[in-house]
Amino acid sequence: MQSYWFGDFTDGRCQPFTGDRGALVSRILSLSTRTDISAIPDWQTAVSCGFCHDRAEYLALLQDACIAAAERSVKEQYSGKDAELLQMVRTLDEIDTVINLLSERATDWYMVRHPAFSRKYRRIPAHTLIRTMQEKSRGALGKVAGEIAQLAETRTALAKEVSARANGVMPNTSALIGGLVAARLMAHAGGLQPLSRLPASAIQVLGARTALFAHIRTRTPSPKHGIIFQHRRVHNAPRGIRGRVARVLSGKLAIAARLDHFRGAADPEFLAKAQEHIDAAGKGGEA
Amino acid sequence: MIWIGDVLVSRGEGGVYNERMLADARVWDPYRSKLAALYHVGKGVELEPSLKVLYLGAANGTTVSHVADYVEVVYAVEFAPRPMQDLIEVARRRRNVIPIMADATCPETYRPVVEYVDILYQDVAQPDQAAIAVRNSVFLRGGGYLILMLKTRSVDVRKDPTAVFDETLAALENAGFSVLESVWLAPYHQDHAAIVCKKPEIRGE
Repeated sequence: MQSYWFGDFTDGRCQPFTGDRGALVSRILSLSTRTDISAIPDWQTAVSCGFCHDRAEYLALLQDACIAAAERSVKEQYSGKDAELLQMVRTLDEIDTVINLLSERATDWYMVRHPAFSRKYRRIPAHTLIRTMQEKSRGALGKVAGEIAQLAETRTALAKEVSARANGVMPNTSALIGGLVAARLMAHAGGLQPLSRLPASAIQVLGARTALFAHIRTRTPSPKHGIIFQHRRVHNAPRGIRGRVARVLSGKLAIAARLDHFRGAADPEFLAKAQEHIDAAGKGGEA
Repeated sequence: MIWIGDVLVSRGEGGVYNERMLADARVWDPYRSKLAALYHVGKGVELEPSLKVLYLGAANGTTVSHVADYVEVVYAVEFAPRPMQDLIEVARRRRNVIPIMADATCPETYRPVVEYVDILYQDVAQPDQAAIAVRNSVFLRGGGYLILMLKTRSVDVRKDPTAVFDETLAALENAGFSVLESVWLAPYHQDHAAIVCKKPEIRGE
């Protein structure tokens, strides 16, 4: 049997497809997964098959079905629960960049207005400084400082949302490393499925691209950790064993990501064992 | 190709991407479109109203919309969902654009819908661009043209672009294509080359 999008050929006889548009779309999508189709369709065959009358109609029907099929594929791609989380994480990181840039600039501006002002030796936290600027500055500078404070608030709310959503979308990974860092890992990999396909060694240095390529090109030491450094068990570990903690943690994260992608539910037994393993690595025990 | 003075244009419904209009025609900017750049620096392939085109790496449908102004039908293949949303919008406004969401490295996934074409146009950011072109040439009729926009940086960033260029030319000739034209797209696009090939006539056709 030879199948075209518009019909099936059996023993030289053609059976045109008669279903509605939705069924035609499903047919096209399912045909695209078959590997036994060798014939390339042409409009004359479609006409002789009785599917359409002329080339114009052939193209119109094909376009209509292909647009619908593409729409359905796009929708499917976005239907994964990780699609929105990914945008949220990237927005969060971008807000951070904006806040840092604006704060730096606003501080410089403020120091011009107040020549006697310096942050040195005063340990003024950034948010206090911003508030002072907001209250003490007239005009645009005060407004900019107000915007920064506003953005910081948005950022806090967004971070909470990211964390909560990550707990739902990737329960195992989040349990090991926290929702926020789990979401960042996912965003760096490009989605939950790509993350689940990464080897542990890649997860370990995800986000340390510059250091990794410097290592590959020249002979600088290899990076020990990327994003996972943000997790307390890595950055609180003594320098000497940080690399080991990162390695053990990323090993468990690779498993967790696969559980999250393929099963989607938390596995308490795995989590308990993994936590124990990671803690042991941090205490200097055998990993 | 339609030129107004030394400006390349195409005739069709405007406003696809806020393109400039010139005497009711859409300006086809060589700095934005590699195909337009090819017509500026080289000869390219004359687009005619009877032609069918398979376009790999359609992206947002910017260049696709210009090609569609010239030819009968464009089968536009794009893999990523974000640009696909734009491409679908272009297809809704143009009767001769057929969007296909598929991976150009797996031509069998769109084999059921794509007919034999006269031009295979490829602009994909992949390391094995020559191999993708060869695999997709099953859709190309004998005597049809392959226009390959070679992104040398996608093949291998560490290699010299000219080396990548030569390797690709050799790979295409090995696959039976005869190279008609190969030019760099500077100053319009850096480290990009255009290669125009002809597929040999198939005997008995």
